[in-house]
Amino acid sequence: MADLGRAALVVSLGLAVYALVAGGYAAHFGRRRLAGSARNALVACFGSTLVAAVVLAAALVRHDFSFVYVASHTNRTLPKIYALTAFWGGQEGSLLLWLLVLSGYGALAVVLNRRLQDLVTWVVPVIGGIATFFAFVLVAVASPFDTQTAPVDGAGLTPSLQNPYMVAHPPMLYLGYVGLAVPFAFAAGAMLSGRTDERWIVATRRWTLAAWMFLGFGQILGAHWAYVEVGWGGYYAWDPVENAALMPWLAATAFLHSVMIQERKGMLKVWNMVLVALAFELSVFGTFLTRSGVVNSIHSFSKSPIGGWFLAFVVISSLFSLGLILWRLPLLKARTKLESAISREAAFLYNNLLLVALCLTVLWGVLFPIVTQLVTGETRTMGRPYYDFFLRAFGLPLLLLMGIGPLIAWRKTSVRALAKTLVWPVATSVVTGIVLVVIGSGSSSPGLIAYTFSAFVLGTIGLELVRGTRATGSLLTLVARNRRRYGGYVVHAAIVLLAIGIAGSSAYGTNREVKLRPGQSASVAGYTLTYTGVDPIRNDPNRTGEYAVLNVTGHWQGTLRSGSITYTGFQETDRDVGIKTDWLRAEDLYVIADFQNGSNVVFFDVLVKPLVNLIWVAAIIFVIGSLIALWPDAREQRRLATRFAPAHG
Amino acid sequence: MTIAIGAVLAVLAVLLVALPFLREPNARDDRIDQPTDADLRTAALVEERDRALAALKDLEFDHRTGKIADDDYRTLVPQLRQAAAAALKALPAVPASSLGTAQEEAD
Amino acid sequence: MYTAFAGASTPELTPSQVTPAKAGKLSVAGKVVGPVTGDSHSKAGLRFGLKDINAKSRIVQVVYRGDSPPPLFAVGRNVVVGGTYASGRLQGSSILTKCPSKYTASPPKA
Repeated sequence: MADLGRAALVVSLGLAVYALVAGGYAAHFGRRRLAGSARNALVACFGSTLVAAVVLAAALVRHDFSFVYVASHTNRTLPKIYALTAFWGGQEGSLLLWLLVLSGYGALAVVLNRRLQDLVTWVVPVIGGIATFFAFVLVAVASPFDTQTAPVDGAGLTPSLQNPYMVAHPPMLYLGYVGLAVPFAFAAGAMLSGRTDERWIVATRRWTLAAWMFLGFGQILGAHWAYVEVGWGGYYAWDPVENAALMPWLAATAFLHSVMIQERKGMLKVWNMVLVALAFELSVFGTFLTRSGVVNSIHSFSKSPIGGWFLAFVVISSLFSLGLILWRLPLLKARTKLESAISREAAFLYNNLLLVALCLTVLWGVLFPIVTQLVTGETRTMGRPYYDFFLRAFGLPLLLLMGIGPLIAWRKTSVRALAKTLVWPVATSVVTGIVLVVIGSGSSSPGLIAYTFSAFVLGTIGLELVRGTRATGSLLTLVARNRRRYGGYVVHAAIVLLAIGIAGSSAYGTNREVKLRPGQSASVAGYTLTYTGVDPIRNDPNRTGEYAVLNVTGHWQGTLRSGSITYTGFQETDRDVGIKTDWLRAEDLYVIADFQNGSNVVFFDVLVKPLVNLIWVAAIIFVIGSLIALWPDAREQRRLATRFAPAHG
Repeated sequence: MTIAIGAVLAVLAVLLVALPFLREPNARDDRIDQPTDADLRTAALVEERDRALAALKDLEFDHRTGKIADDDYRTLVPQLRQAAAAALKALPAVPASSLGTAQEEAD
Repeated sequence: MYTAFAGASTPELTPSQVTPAKAGKLSVAGKVVGPVTGDSHSKAGLRFGLKDINAKSRIVQVVYRGDSPPPLFAVGRNVVVGGTYASGRLQGSSILTKCPSKYTASPPKA
């Protein structure tokens, strides 16, 4: 069976190379049948990659330990669902997933857009090129189909990966990362074909939005995983792998906004090309970071040979993109310019600058250890304060802009009109600010600013909905006619909730370590916690360990447990934290128990995190808003179909 | 068994790739539809027209929702209407169907 | 940019790079060597050694105080210990271990 998998991947590689070479030839010399053939090769590539994927999946589910990969990542007692998720739990399998999604997306995108002949004939070789890289790595560097004499049992999946998050988080991220390859390929195709009008943007608009949605949701899912399961008391650590997903997402966010300027005024074409290439390169770079061991992170410490290949690919594809943009600069240069510094176009521009600035500061933080190593021979890492500073420096103005932007008209707005519109939202935020100071939120200035800005933005969104409804007659019609705009406002609301959740849990949280013997209590932020004793795990063949039990009174009455669990057969001890989510009080009580050897004293890390659950609520609203914006609009489809229909049939 | 599956798949892949050539062994016209200069000009003009119409629509909406003051509106409307009219005039050969959707746009 | 934000950064060294001249705040990335004695909560702290991950090297003595080390901390594991280096010892205040092995070629030890 492994032979079939290996052969399928070799076939995929061959087809990808054909799509690249034949597709490039066909595009350059204008050969229709060859172009169609190259396009079919992409579809066939998806087919053969699917075969390879099925072979691996089947081997995992069947516990076929003759596959080195299966033996390394599963064992006989592993439930079937986790045996399946082991598909993306390791290097080779996750690369196969990359190729599968890439070829699938790519094939679908070129088939759906095949009427845009002169564009798609160039998109095919670009996707072929990317697929060639991944297929090559899978065939020659990291194959999932290496075999061995089957051991009796496999090594198993570390228990901390056996949870529902492992089922959802990586695939979501991949749908996001790889999804960004499609707009990139279409942008490159546009530049290669010499037609730099909006066709490529319109064709890939939904792809970009969908990829961006998956990437965003996948990240919050990961944060939730860290918060609930990994249990260090937080949800984001500015770890390189976390940043690896954040950076392309920020670039894609900037891109989603700036394309609207290109649509309206035909400006910023060069900027959009740069952004889409940046988003794609960052997502491949992110994949490189998490695997190569070049930077120490929670995912990897040891260097892996695959890093070199990925770095080479990032460098080559970046040079390719740069070359393309420079070559087509004359075609891309805009003939119009910004009419006013107070216009929605200008607001989008400021938003873009802030987003890209934040993205680049995160990138610098990630690269810093590598740069210092090269320049001084000594590795230095950037700490949390660096990231927190820039998150505030760029994030707070962004928040403000999210509120002001929608209130400004396209082209230009007079200061008077803007002032009139701003009255209500500003009043709301000032009142909110005063109330907050009264109830004690003045303890943290960034927190207070974040809260008042958030109130401002929510005020503007509300105002927009009210005025829009008055203008069109019904809220439903309003949203249905302007799905992108109002879907976007819902997404903005989600980001505001995210900001409130982050501000609340970090700026206004409490963190205390208490030392308790059985029977002793401690008071933290309105809760009294009494340590009643130890509850060991009994009658479980897979786990041993114990929980410390706490009786809680005060704001909430109940029991919390937290402890250490060791899984039989694994050296690893997992920390299980106790979390009480109080929706009414809008805060979390979070307890981490720490046993001390040889004494009955237990150290408890008690954290109270206000408003942290808004972050998870924000994730849902984020998806809803994205779906509204994504929803196909029949009227718009018809209009665009005639706009881009080829002149002669 | 594995070899059989592999062989079948390889054949399918080759067939799929060769399909365009099998369908039309002697193609009269094997050229890709490249847009002519006229096509490109038309496309650019259509883009201009759509942009102008969209700008008018935005202006209307922004005015109705109070983002643009009355006097600003009064100065901008004729400018945009002129731009839209110019774009529409410059498209003599655009088929009726797309003109129809342009009407839909303007309402 | 480099110097402006160097203040927010800390050096990350391997045990063989740690010398008395490097006294101050830093992190050391290495492999844990035993014996591991003591307790992180006590005044005497948790004591262990760190050596280079892939090479023979001198051993840096660590005294770690604070929360119990994370679940994956064990002899033979690779960790990053942050703290202050003074008088030949690393006074550790944080330990970073890696998530269960995702992308290493070798299987996790059973």
